[in-house]
Amino acid sequence: MTRADLWPRIEPLLSRIERPTRYVDREWGASHVEDADYSAALVYPDTYEIGQANQAIGILYERLNGLEGVSAERAYLPWIDLIELMREDAIPLFALESCAPLRDFDLVGITVPHELSYTNILEVLDLAGIPIRAEDRTDCDPLVIGGGPCVYNPEPFAAFFDAILIGEGEDAVVDIVEAHRTAKADGATRTDTLVRLAAIDGVYVPSLYEASTTEDGSFAGMVAQSPAPAVVYKRVLKDLGSHNPPTCPIVPFMDVVHDRFTVEVLRGCTRGCRFCQAGMVYRPVRERSADEVVRDVVAGLRCTGYDEASLTSLSTADHSQLEEVLRRLQRRLAGTGVSVSLPSLRVDAFSVEMARLISAGKKTGLTFAPEAGTQRMRDVINKNVTEEDLLGTVRLAFEAGWRRVKLYFMIGLPTETDDDIRGIGTLVYKVLQAARESTPPSQRGGLKIGVSVSTFVPKAGTPFQWEAQATLEEVQRKQAILRESTPRKGVDLHWHDAEVSFLEGVMARGGRELTQVIEAAHRNGARFDAWTERFSLDLWMRAFDECGVDPVKTANVAREVTQVLPWEHISSGVSGSYLVRERDRAYAVKTTADCSFEGCTGCDACQELGVDIVLAGGRRS
Amino acid sequence: MTPGEFRLRVCYAKQGRLRWLSHLEVVHALERMVRRAELPFAVTQGFSPHLKAAFGPALPVGTAGENEYFDVWLKEYTRAPEALSALAAAAAPDLAPTETVYVANNAPSLTAALVIGLYRVELDGKGIRADQVHAALAQVLSAGELVVEHKGKQKVFDLTRSVPEDARVSDGDSGVVVDLAVRMGPEGSLRPESLVRAAIEKAGIAVSAVRTTRRDTLVEDDEGVWSRPV
Repeated sequence: MTRADLWPRIEPLLSRIERPTRYVDREWGASHVEDADYSAALVYPDTYEIGQANQAIGILYERLNGLEGVSAERAYLPWIDLIELMREDAIPLFALESCAPLRDFDLVGITVPHELSYTNILEVLDLAGIPIRAEDRTDCDPLVIGGGPCVYNPEPFAAFFDAILIGEGEDAVVDIVEAHRTAKADGATRTDTLVRLAAIDGVYVPSLYEASTTEDGSFAGMVAQSPAPAVVYKRVLKDLGSHNPPTCPIVPFMDVVHDRFTVEVLRGCTRGCRFCQAGMVYRPVRERSADEVVRDVVAGLRCTGYDEASLTSLSTADHSQLEEVLRRLQRRLAGTGVSVSLPSLRVDAFSVEMARLISAGKKTGLTFAPEAGTQRMRDVINKNVTEEDLLGTVRLAFEAGWRRVKLYFMIGLPTETDDDIRGIGTLVYKVLQAARESTPPSQRGGLKIGVSVSTFVPKAGTPFQWEAQATLEEVQRKQAILRESTPRKGVDLHWHDAEVSFLEGVMARGGRELTQVIEAAHRNGARFDAWTERFSLDLWMRAFDECGVDPVKTANVAREVTQVLPWEHISSGVSGSYLVRERDRAYAVKTTADCSFEGCTGCDACQELGVDIVLAGGRRS
Repeated sequence: MTPGEFRLRVCYAKQGRLRWLSHLEVVHALERMVRRAELPFAVTQGFSPHLKAAFGPALPVGTAGENEYFDVWLKEYTRAPEALSALAAAAAPDLAPTETVYVANNAPSLTAALVIGLYRVELDGKGIRADQVHAALAQVLSAGELVVEHKGKQKVFDLTRSVPEDARVSDGDSGVVVDLAVRMGPEGSLRPESLVRAAIEKAGIAVSAVRTTRRDTLVEDDEGVWSRPV
C-alpha cells in the first residue's frame, strides 16, 4: 500500500518549534525499506530524546527489519509545540523514516515504560487518528500491540490495546508479525486475528477476558474466553546468546538520554529485593559470556562512532565475568579516548575496584543504593547490605580519589517507623564522616554526598503487592522528617514528588475501572505526566471524581493475601505462594539469599517457564 | 599543535533534512563520523581525552551549508583521497564530506580565518518579484544598521561592515532568490535571513517560506580578496 509522505507538510512547521532535530530522521543506522508488504511502527510514548535510546525498541527494530518483506519504523510523541501545530493543520502522527501516517501501518507497537505514560499513549493514538479503544477499531485500523515494563498489571490500559506482549520480545515479535501476515493473507476478520494472536506464548488479548464477580459483587478475577489461556505466562528467552544484540543501532543527532553505545550484559536479577518489580518479573538471571560482551562492545563502537560504551543490566557488578570483560576492554580501548561505564554498583570493594579499573583518571561520581537507613528496614526489604559494607565501600572510593557519591533511598516502606527515616539521616552523616576521614584535608571542600529519596510504590508481582501505599499526607510528613534529619553541609538531598508517587501507585495496582479515568484525565488535558512541570494531580483528581473511582482505595488500603488481584491472569512465572512466603519473611525481618549465589529459593520461575539460570563464569561466589 | 600530527581539513555539506540540525549536533555527528571512518585521529591530552578537531563558524538551525569545514588532527599520515572515501562511507548522506586536504599545522584556525559567508536566501511566495525585493533590501541597507532580536536579546549590526557587497536578487522557480555576502566574526554574525525578513516585512511583501543556504565560507587576504580555505 502506498502511504502518504507527510514531510512536505511537517517541514514548514519546523522553524516555529523547539528542537526540530526530533523530527528529521536520517540518523546513522536508521533503516527504511520502501516497498515492504508489511509495515510496523514502533512507538515510544514520549519525546524523541526520552525514547530514542530505549534498548527494547532498538532490538525489535532490528529484528523486524531483518524479516523478508517487513519494514519497521520508529515514532515518538512530538512535543506540545508541534502537537498543537499538527492539530491546527490536521496532520496526523507520523513515523520518522517514511513520514507516513501511523494509522496507515499494519501494526503499531507501543511500549509502556512506566505508570505515568498512560495519557501519552492516548495522545499517540488520538493524534494518529486511531480509535483509542480497541473495541472501536475496524479492519482498516492497524493492530495496536503493547509491551514493556508495565505489562505485569496491564488492566488500567488494557482496553487501548488489541494485544499486549507479556515478557521478552525477541522471538515473540516475529511470531506476532507472522501470525498477523498470515491472518491478512487469509482474509481473517479482526476478531479472528485476535484469537490467533492469543494462541502465541506470552500474548494477552484483553478483549478475550472478562471480569467476574462473586455473589456479593466483589471482584473475582479476569476470566478467559476459550481458546485464550486462563493465565498468560511471560515470554522468556532461555539463553541471551541465542540473539546477537544490535551492534549498529541508530546514532541520534540530538543529545538524548543514554546517548552512548549500550550492551546488555545480563538480564534478570535474583537478589530478591522485595520492593523491586524488575527483580521479580525478569527472572531468571541470564548472562552473556565475556567473549560476546567484548565482541559486541568493540563491534558497536566501530559501527556507531560513540566514545562511550555502557554495560547495562539490573545489576552489572553481579556478572560472573565482569572483571575479565573490563580488563579486556581496557586493553582494547587504550588510547582511543573511549570510556566504559557501569550504570550501577554493588555496595562492596569489588565494585569500587571495577570502577577504578575503568575510570582512567576520570572520577566523576559513584552511585550506591542502600535503599533504607536502618538494618531492620533493609532486612525487611531484603536489601542485603550492611552499614559496615556501605561505610567500608565509601572509604575505599574516597581513598581511591572519588569525591562524590550518590546514594539512593526509599521511604514509605512496609513496617517503616519514623526512626527508620531518621536512620537515613544518621547513615548519610556517617557516610559523610567516612568520606571526610578518607580524603586529604585540602580536598575536603569539594566533597559531596548526593542523596536521592524516592517513595515506595507497591507493584504487581512483588511480595509487597498487597501493601498499603503511604498516603499523600503521610509521605509529606515523612519527607519533612527526612529533611530535618539529613545533614545539610556536603549533602545534596532530593526527594520525589509525593503527588506523582500517589498517581503511580493507583495506576500500578488498579484494574479496568481506571480505563475511563485515564480517558477522562486525557480529555481534561493530562499528558506528559512524567514531566514535572506538566504534571497536575488536580486534572487527575477531577477525572477520578467524574468517574466515581476512589484512588485512595486502590493505592492506600492494604489488601488481604486471599483477595483476588486484578492481574492474577498475568504471570511472570514467580508463584503466588513464593510472594506470600517472602512477604511473611519480610514481616519476620528475615532475609532471603540470592539463588544465583546460593541454592534455589523456590520462586518457581525456572520450573514454570522451563528455563534456568545462565551464569557465564559458573556459579558465583 | 603537536609535532608529528597531520592536520586534515574536511569540506562537507549540511543539506536536506539535516539543515535542521544545530551546530552542536553537527559537531557531534562529524566527530562520530571520524570515529566510524577509523581514521588515526589524535586524542587531546588532559582530564577528559577526546578526538582532536576544530570546526568552522556555526550554521543556525534550519540553514543549510554547501561548503562547510572542519579540521581533524591525525597521528598518522593517510592519503587525503583515502581519508575522504573512508569519511564518506561513514557519513549520513545529508551531512557528507566533499573534499579533504592537508593544511599546515600553524595555519590560522577556521573560526579566525573564515570571515565571509556567501548566502542564498530563497523566498517562496505567489506574485513576489525580484525588483520589489531588491528595492526593499536597498531600503533597509541604506539605514546603515539593523537591530535584530534573538532569544530576547537585541543586537545592533553595522550593515556597511556586515554586508560588504551588494546583494543580487533574481526571480526563481517558486519565488525570488537573494544572493548576498555577509561578514562573520567573533562579535556575532548577521543572519542573512534576519536581514531579508526585515526588508520584506518593512516593504509588506508576503512570503510562504524562506530557505537559507550558506553556499561558501571564505577567507579574506590582506588585499581583501576572498578565497576558499582549501
